[in-house]
Amino acid sequence: MNNKLMNFYKSHKPYSQFILFGIILSLLPLLVSLGLVKYSLLTTVASILIYSIVALGLNLLLGYSGLISLGTAGFMGMGTYLTAFITADLGLPFELALIISVAVPMVIGVLTGLVSLRIEGYYLAIATLAISEILRKVFVEFDFITNGFSGKQAQYPKLLGFLQLDRNGTYILIVFFLILVMIMMHNLVNSHTGRALSTMRGSEAAASAMGINIYRHRLLSFAIAVSFSALGGVLYMHFVKYTYPNAWILMLSLNILAVIVIGGIRSISGTILGAFIVFGVPDLILKRLPIIGSIDGAAYIFNGLLIILVILFYPNGLINMRFDIQKNFNKLFRRGEDNNG
Amino acid sequence: MDNMPDKVLKVENLSIAFGGLKAVDNLSFDINEGEIFGLIGPNGAGKTTVFNCITQFYKPDNGDIYFRTNTGEVENLVGKKTHEIIGKGLVRTFQNIELIRELTVVENVMVGAHIEFKSSLFNQFFRLKKTRQEENRMRKRAEEILDHMGLSSIKDMLVAGQPYGVLKKIELARALMLNPKLIILDEPAAGLNDSETLSLVNIIKEIKTERNCSILLIEHDMKFVNGLCDRICAINFGKLLAIGTPGEIQENEQVQIAYLGKEDY
Repeated sequence: MNNKLMNFYKSHKPYSQFILFGIILSLLPLLVSLGLVKYSLLTTVASILIYSIVALGLNLLLGYSGLISLGTAGFMGMGTYLTAFITADLGLPFELALIISVAVPMVIGVLTGLVSLRIEGYYLAIATLAISEILRKVFVEFDFITNGFSGKQAQYPKLLGFLQLDRNGTYILIVFFLILVMIMMHNLVNSHTGRALSTMRGSEAAASAMGINIYRHRLLSFAIAVSFSALGGVLYMHFVKYTYPNAWILMLSLNILAVIVIGGIRSISGTILGAFIVFGVPDLILKRLPIIGSIDGAAYIFNGLLIILVILFYPNGLINMRFDIQKNFNKLFRRGEDNNG
Repeated sequence: MDNMPDKVLKVENLSIAFGGLKAVDNLSFDINEGEIFGLIGPNGAGKTTVFNCITQFYKPDNGDIYFRTNTGEVENLVGKKTHEIIGKGLVRTFQNIELIRELTVVENVMVGAHIEFKSSLFNQFFRLKKTRQEENRMRKRAEEILDHMGLSSIKDMLVAGQPYGVLKKIELARALMLNPKLIILDEPAAGLNDSETLSLVNIIKEIKTERNCSILLIEHDMKFVNGLCDRICAINFGKLLAIGTPGEIQENEQVQIAYLGKEDY
């Protein structure tokens, strides 16, 4: 029986891994209600998962397509404001808000891409930086919708018009979307579009000789990255229930970039690992240490140092550490065998 | 209007200049169906530039490039987009191998059939039936080609770290995915040792006979070219020196001067 389950698990990798990961994450509210972990841990983990979704989009863009966006925070912020406006001000259903709040940033992203991607890949970084700053200015100035600096509020989502979620329910919804995004991402990078993106990143000459329309694929991967950012924004809004302009600054975009560099470029599990390190370690560990915990910018120093160390020792991200651990483990194991023989 | 019976490619009065330098100067030649055609010339003669003009990586200043496409019609390639060329039935390899290090060998070969993949983004996101079928079909085709080249043992390995001769073969395999009418090979034997070259010669001959396609290749190595090509075109400084069978080209005085230098008496 046990063996059967194990075989099923192995033959359905990596879906089974992703779903198992989702099930483990879903147990967290239970642990909180049993009093085994702190109430605030749920908030920290939820935001880590939201940032994971956003970072997965950026990893598709950077790792697979070789493009950089510095506008992640802006598009995420746009998602928060849109969904807040649609659900709280207009009173429309959550599902509709979700679709519109992902679609509108995506369209704006595509328009940005249409202009900037025609020339060279790195113009996207400049254009997105500008768009992100414009968006932040819009969040401040259009105060009849956004409430300016005082920020905007929303409620936990109500699904299908009757299923009102609470804090735990919204957390489970976030887990669901993360697992969905992980599966979609895995499928995409292992299909012909994913290979086309990789080819484009590795050699534009080979890509166009093989019939890959570089401009179209750049736009496509940017559109996907933006929609993942906006999706993250929507989930953030309905979990944190509050958004304000200064939450969506360049620093956040750079932190998402750090997630990928530290965790693992071109790796789904690496992205999750990176998000836990960049957004988890400062909150969960650094703040509790003596002396270091009282330094204001400790998180920035930690991330900066980590980026340098990772680039030196694991240029493709910390996720590759597992191969070294495995190797050392094997070595130890084999030595044991030799001694016996 | 078919102005080129039995021809697969016809280059007419091709010219391109970079700044003041005429890299290709009023060059004309044509390739018969089912022929292995060699383009030779000393370093800097403009051979790769000719290739880049044919495949529309460069836009020629002047001239026409007529190509008999998969459907049998004759089309002028000049002005087409680079990524449209492969769909006409013309595919190329590169002088400096352009494979993707992060993909496996078989995945790299599958990229060669990119334009035949039709499943939608939604299909791909959720790996629905259409995507799965398509992936399986193309993977099988890629594996058959690799098997034919004796590479099936490394098909699931990453391209990074494979020996040079193997990389050349993988690139050739990628070019075969769509059963092209004409394959353009940019210095296929450069950097190969003798046994690798021999194996490549056999593969190219097999491609010609089994797949009924024409081959245009650039090469430095005269021995390689003479043993393989049906006809040869020699150029220097972007200008045509001579076209003919390998024997004729070897006898040609101008070609000898270009290659060996002129003796002054």
